[in-house]
Amino acid sequence: MSPLRRIAVANADALRARHSDLFDGVLARRLTAIAVVVVLAALAALAVWRLDVSLARFGSGLVQIANIVGAMFPPTPGTHLVVFLHALAETLAIAFLGTLIAAAIAFPLGLLAAKNVIPNVFAHFAVRRLLDTVRGVDVLIWALIFINVVGLGPFAGILAIAASDTGSFGKLFSEAIENADRKPVEGVVAAGGSALHAVRYGLVPQVVPVIASQVLYYFESNTRSATIIGIVGAGGIGLHLAEQIRVLEWGQVAFLVLLILVTVAVIDWVSGRLRFAIIGRSTVGAG
Amino acid sequence: MLVVEGLTRRFGNLHAVSGASFAVERGAFVGVIGPSGAGKSTLLRMINRLVDPSAGRIRFDGQDVTALTGSDLRRWRRRAAMIFQQFNLVGRLDVLTNVLMGRIATVPAWRSLAGLWPDDDKLVALSALEQFDIAPLAARRAEHLSGGQQQRVAIARALVQEPEIILADEPIASLDPRNTRVVMDALLRINKHFGITVLCNLHSLDIARAYCDRLIGMAAGRIVFDGAPVALTDALARDIYGLDSDQVLDGAARAPQPDLPEAALGEAAAA
Repeated sequence: MSPLRRIAVANADALRARHSDLFDGVLARRLTAIAVVVVLAALAALAVWRLDVSLARFGSGLVQIANIVGAMFPPTPGTHLVVFLHALAETLAIAFLGTLIAAAIAFPLGLLAAKNVIPNVFAHFAVRRLLDTVRGVDVLIWALIFINVVGLGPFAGILAIAASDTGSFGKLFSEAIENADRKPVEGVVAAGGSALHAVRYGLVPQVVPVIASQVLYYFESNTRSATIIGIVGAGGIGLHLAEQIRVLEWGQVAFLVLLILVTVAVIDWVSGRLRFAIIGRSTVGAG
Repeated sequence: MLVVEGLTRRFGNLHAVSGASFAVERGAFVGVIGPSGAGKSTLLRMINRLVDPSAGRIRFDGQDVTALTGSDLRRWRRRAAMIFQQFNLVGRLDVLTNVLMGRIATVPAWRSLAGLWPDDDKLVALSALEQFDIAPLAARRAEHLSGGQQQRVAIARALVQEPEIILADEPIASLDPRNTRVVMDALLRINKHFGITVLCNLHSLDIARAYCDRLIGMAAGRIVFDGAPVALTDALARDIYGLDSDQVLDGAARAPQPDLPEAALGEAAAA
């Protein structure tokens, strides 16, 4: 027994009395935690019951899945290889332009929505609610809206992604800016810098790595989204995917899915390299 | 007894530590001194095995520490507590939980992961906090404490590990003079009171001379001095610290002089 433990044991009662708050509340806290878990489980059970989630139905459906997977082999482009590749390029272009436009619009909005940049409550409250509203509408809904505005095709897809991600980026950017360290800003202001200087030299260098990795992730995510909005007619590979599913050409569906999978993996790899190049390896390694 | 034999660590081409050999008796208070980049931190971190040696051996009471892996390694780390320059507390957790972290290698995993710490261990943690007069802060978040208080929490965490040796890596480099005293006194008390060996990296030669029984001087990764503080003459200290020596051999008489060219002074006066 170490000397410290001997002292603790010898004074156990006195210690307990002096710090009763650290021992007494424990049971109550534990019961609260258990109650929270029970309530969550009950809510989940209620949802399962009300939404008619049936394992039996899922079980019989599994056979159907097996049939479909069987029909997917071998994956084949059929006679549409060039068309598919062209559509894939279109999807990539939609994702790229949509993400770029969203980031460009969201950056100033993110600054306006950050409490440490705009101390005025009304200003950043207004910008935040605007971003919430834009974000509240899903990309698929934006796609349907823009198809009615500019007609079917990739342009509608670009606008849909740009609109929906402006909301997401605005929120993420403003949070990254608010999490930034205040000390560099103080350094710039103390040297006689204006508010704009404080943003340019105090905040932006801190948030650029965060923003860059978010934008790169969204480019990858949007490549997948662009597939979905293609299904409703906003251009890209999704249109072909929906069509092949409709005509039950499972081999071609499998080929398209693999094509998208490979593309996303490549983007992921490239963006990982880019991210390291921007952040600099030193901050990631042991330092 | 801690025995270090030919301990070496390379980072690429850089020899952070090369061929360090020494032995530390149980209950000693040993200061490791030297300028920044001399390899002091790497040496201490190798003993806790936070950094793996490139060559050489560490033995403790005959056991080969360099060969340990898995749960044996965790048991060794429990016995060789670390104290860091930046305290390395979990800022968002309360002080008591931070100190209980010192029990993490001993308490069953299901208990520590669920946060169900045994009352006995809580008592030990509180007793350690009382040793350093910070028990009233037990329920506060660690990040809300001052630097001196945080370092005392870190020392309490180390003490609660019931270690056989404490490795303190520049424990006072981030503290003001008053807290420097408080923290060094705390380490000294652990050493004398509980008989725990202390191996402490220090920047300041004055502090090292005041507190340590023995000094190990490092320069450019090599051990260049090993002996009692009185044996470390100013000339030897200058060898260890090189150009920095005037800043380290402090005292009012040697306060640094401004080093401005005459012309610059003239301009400043004119402006």
